[in-house]
Amino acid sequence: MATALVTKQKRIKKSSLAKRNLQKLLNNKLAVLGLFIVVTMILLCIAAPLLTPYDPGKISLFERDSAPGGEHIFGTDKLGRDVFARILYGGRISILIGLSGALGGMILGVVIGSLCGFFGGILDAIFVKVAELVSIVPQLLLVLILSTIIGPGVPNLIYVFIFTGWVATFRLVRGRFFSLREESFVEACRAFGIGSLSIAFKHILPNCLGPVAVQLTLNTAGFILQEAALSFLGLGVPTGVPTWGNIMNAAKEIITITESPWLWIPTGVAIALFVLGVNFFGDGLRDVLDPSQL
Amino acid sequence: MLKYFVSRMLMLIPMILIISFIVFIGLEFAPADPLTAMISPDQMSSMTLEDMEAMRESLGLNAPMLVRYGRWLVNLLKGDMGFSIVTGTPITNIISNLLPSTIKLTFAALLVSTFMGLLFGILSAIKSNSAIDYISSVLGVIGISMPEFFIGILALLAFAIRLRWFPAQGRTDVGLGAFGSIKYLVLPACSLGLVLAAALMRYTRNAMLDVLNKDYVKTARAKGLPEWKVYYKHAFRNSLMPISVLICLRLPMLIGGSVVIEQVFGYAGIGSRLLTAINAGDYQLVLVIVLLLSIVSLLASVFIDLLTALLDPRVRLGGDIGGAK
Amino acid sequence: MNKQDYILSIKDLKTQFKVGKRIVKAVDGVTLDVRRGKTLGLVGESGCGKSVTAHSIMQLLPKAATIVDGEIQFRPKDKPEFNILKYKRTDKKLRSMRGKQISMIFQDPMSSLNPVYRVGDQIVENIRQHENISKKQAIKKTVDMLKMLSIPMAEERIKDYPHQFSGGMKQRVMIAMGLISDPELLIADEPTTALDVTIQAQILDLMRHMQDQLGFTIIIITHNMGIVADMADDIAVMYMGKIMEYGTKEDIFLRPSHPYTKALLKSVPVLGNGGNERLEPIRGNTPDPSEMPEGCSFMPRCDMATEACNKAAPNVDIGGGHMVRCWHSKGGAPHE
Repeated sequence: MATALVTKQKRIKKSSLAKRNLQKLLNNKLAVLGLFIVVTMILLCIAAPLLTPYDPGKISLFERDSAPGGEHIFGTDKLGRDVFARILYGGRISILIGLSGALGGMILGVVIGSLCGFFGGILDAIFVKVAELVSIVPQLLLVLILSTIIGPGVPNLIYVFIFTGWVATFRLVRGRFFSLREESFVEACRAFGIGSLSIAFKHILPNCLGPVAVQLTLNTAGFILQEAALSFLGLGVPTGVPTWGNIMNAAKEIITITESPWLWIPTGVAIALFVLGVNFFGDGLRDVLDPSQL
Repeated sequence: MLKYFVSRMLMLIPMILIISFIVFIGLEFAPADPLTAMISPDQMSSMTLEDMEAMRESLGLNAPMLVRYGRWLVNLLKGDMGFSIVTGTPITNIISNLLPSTIKLTFAALLVSTFMGLLFGILSAIKSNSAIDYISSVLGVIGISMPEFFIGILALLAFAIRLRWFPAQGRTDVGLGAFGSIKYLVLPACSLGLVLAAALMRYTRNAMLDVLNKDYVKTARAKGLPEWKVYYKHAFRNSLMPISVLICLRLPMLIGGSVVIEQVFGYAGIGSRLLTAINAGDYQLVLVIVLLLSIVSLLASVFIDLLTALLDPRVRLGGDIGGAK
Repeated sequence: MNKQDYILSIKDLKTQFKVGKRIVKAVDGVTLDVRRGKTLGLVGESGCGKSVTAHSIMQLLPKAATIVDGEIQFRPKDKPEFNILKYKRTDKKLRSMRGKQISMIFQDPMSSLNPVYRVGDQIVENIRQHENISKKQAIKKTVDMLKMLSIPMAEERIKDYPHQFSGGMKQRVMIAMGLISDPELLIADEPTTALDVTIQAQILDLMRHMQDQLGFTIIIITHNMGIVADMADDIAVMYMGKIMEYGTKEDIFLRPSHPYTKALLKSVPVLGNGGNERLEPIRGNTPDPSEMPEGCSFMPRCDMATEACNKAAPNVDIGGGHMVRCWHSKGGAPHE
């Protein structure tokens, strides 16, 4: 009874806090701008079939390498594929990879981080070492080793990102748990006879979610950049699948850089703009949740 | 301090072992005959199938995996890294030719980014909420939002191809002398360093603002010290510790980024060799390079870690504040 | 009394903070005289503006704060007096005053010393900022001062880092740093709040002892009535950015005239002041400083509030410099 009351009161208080935070977020101009950019770009990518009549994979040998203008807003590539269509459809995959990699990493990091932070001990010691190991090997190289083992492809790339991306969230959640588990409200929960797992996930974890959300934005931005870099090198997603990185892949040759800038400048700008939006939003989120936190 | 140093160094050994084991497993999975990677191609061409089977047996390629891993590791330590299965050159030669260029590039990028990041980070913290703070904040977010290779391509187009200030295709620095090689280094190093510079700037600003709120900064002012001394001697010195932690965390990303940047500029380093090796299916070479670059980033971060410990007496003297155990 | 008998005269000091879009009047018209060579205790609950007043004297306020009005006249011994607020925060005149003529020590000795420098170097830095002497001489001076403050093995300890000192020892180091250049005024902002009770007494004893030897003036800021009873010659009671009552220690403890002072005295035990009395908490809370009541700021919590209190109370001298900011003390008649 008493706990139910406490939880209920907490919920009421939290909802008003959430409301105030939302208000603060909406007052933050850069955060709103960031959210606007992100949402608009996602919508554009989803609505791709409505915005362009072209198939991103359709090769048209008569219209190879044509400059922007006319029927093709951003021109066509070396195989006559419409660049604008490729950017829109490519955005779907790039954003999907970035978001799902970051989300998967977040879930993994939160679960492992909570368990390690709450129980400590040998489990904690092991995962701290694993995290150190994962973070010390350059991520690009880790992806290389892993993709020789499990092979290339969109799902595999997402797995690789999840595997490398949980570390930051893990550290964050673990650190918060270490300080929060000493607080008196945890003590109070114990006194009420609430089980350990319930304390960890129902009572402590909600107090960690702010920084975790910020980390989610950072990871999304990071993974989109990494996918682009890997595919630019020809190591990420197989070349048949359009992603932002794969479109940029053409700019490996000097002749493309100088003669066909429409192949890479709009794509580069699209990546930068989307990531900028995510970062603006993430910065705003951080300011709202805790202005003093780094 | 010595204890700290030794413990840090000892920690390295299991790390390197684990990384090398992962790399070895990668090698196991690679679709290539390990024999071709172990003997020189000349010798190989004069062998029959029976010879090769005998060779396999005598080289121990049919032994259990852990045993082979042990041998592989011992050979690596002896400097025998095997042969590239594509070009047939000893990997040791490839590495010793190219690794220095990559380290030079990464180090130059680190210098550029540290200098720019600290300078603008400190300036925006001291003049917080001023025009310079605002401008560098916006530039900072843009900086961390740009893909490295996009910055590289833009720099290449602007400064090498259009303005012709720097060579467009960076060769190696072999035989160019110290001064001659610098012009090949400038663009790649700056492009590579820019992203880290932006991240560092944002972080330095926050770290400085944090320290500037500390009581000891007030104490320094209360002594009557001039502002520059307060900032430099008392605030900056203390913000260096969290900053070097960030540099440590970002080092692997910098080394990974060097692979991309070398590709953009055609800079002949270990990174661009790595890519050719991958495309040619030269797995032995790929994995040795991966191993080496991982070790480089491990060593570099231990180095920065020790530097931090030198700067912080609490760690150095093994006080009660973390790290020294 | 002669003007020269007051080392510091604060007149109508107003310091404001900008918190988001709101303006908080942390110090709202403080007028105060500090007698030379004596100890002034500035007491009040947390958030009353006592610490901001002290920081305003040194002009060591955080960036969000601005001194909007007032004057702080400082009268060093053989030098011309000057108004501290006439100068910019970073002005050379103020820099040569800080740490030399006026020193300040802070609440938390743990964080007041820079963790990356040796303790001795931090004190030497203060000497060499103001005096042109060799490093060797400065070190000798430092060791002498630490010995005076009874820090054992001073020659060795100056080579240690702050984290190797205990809290009480750190506060001694801070006092040494404050006194090293022979200041005329020492401002101590809650100097013992962060320390154990036994250490508190030692530190206060030490400060008094040093004052007897060197003859400087002390402004001690505290929320602890016991400490002012122990240390102060004069006491100023502050509430919501204003001085509510000012007088000698006897005035305040034996003839408290402001309802707030009385309430404050009833709410804390004071040694030797009737040990068996029942303590009474002050009712209500301190109001939000950004939503201050129109009239007397203590009115919402005051038992004797009347219609008159809706207007700002006058500052009345009820005899011999005993000042009270209350409508009910008008005419000097103590109400009881």
